[in-house]
Amino acid sequence: MNRSDKIFIGIVLIAALVLYGTMQWFVTSSTGANTVAVVSYRDKEVLRIDMSQNKNYTVQGTLGEVFIEVKDKAIRVEKETSPYHLCSIQGWVQYANVPIVCLPNHIVIIIENATEDPDGEDTQVK
Amino acid sequence: MLLAMSILLHMMEPSLPIPIPGVKLGLANILGLITFFMFSYKEMFNVNLMRVLIASLLRGIIFGTGFWLSLAGVLLSTLMVVVLRKTTRLSIIGLSVASATFHCLGQILVICFLNGTWLMVYWLPIMWLSAVPTGIITGTLAHQVLRRIMKGGYSV
Repeated sequence: MNRSDKIFIGIVLIAALVLYGTMQWFVTSSTGANTVAVVSYRDKEVLRIDMSQNKNYTVQGTLGEVFIEVKDKAIRVEKETSPYHLCSIQGWVQYANVPIVCLPNHIVIIIENATEDPDGEDTQVK
Repeated sequence: MLLAMSILLHMMEPSLPIPIPGVKLGLANILGLITFFMFSYKEMFNVNLMRVLIASLLRGIIFGTGFWLSLAGVLLSTLMVVVLRKTTRLSIIGLSVASATFHCLGQILVICFLNGTWLMVYWLPIMWLSAVPTGIITGTLAHQVLRRIMKGGYSV
């Protein structure tokens, strides 16, 4: 390992930290008081969850059912059928814009602010 | 033969337990790097690309999400290894770390595209933090192999 390597590694680590810090700031500052969790299957919204109510939900994923739990304004995937169970290992998410992705089931859960913003991203033109 | 070994490592890797989402050792890349230093960039592209295609075929889910992730990761990382080799003085270890970081980036870009949101970038910091040690490990392994099989040494 030479000096160039160490410089490159340093750059990667700093980039990772900067990106992480930016995301944390973005995520905490964009979480408002009223939040809604949007559950998408294959990029189409299938369920909209009010985060202020503690409740359990079930959505159909590609490999099976995905069990979602909402408690104390946080959401998590409790159980699902997948090779590595990465989305249930991820645990509780309380901030907006932090995605819970269950890739094998093609399910994505993202918390958004519930306030109706006419200029917001309610539609995406692809 | 290098391709066969690469495919083997690619396929047995999921059985190694690593609990962090998206993190993998990338052992198959060792063969890619060895190919690059033994031959040239064309052979490395071949080995890496065919590895992804054939492994996907063998798993039976070609053109699934995992395939596109691997493909994007491998294409970007291989390309960047060639570019960095020409433009910087990174050793094989540095190139391996670079390979790992760009592989992660490629995968995240595909996930962002598939889900239509940039929020997937959330995974990038932890993937990059893991790319450094895994890159060092695979680079060191490639280096040790090359030391032994390249007669007359090889240029780092």
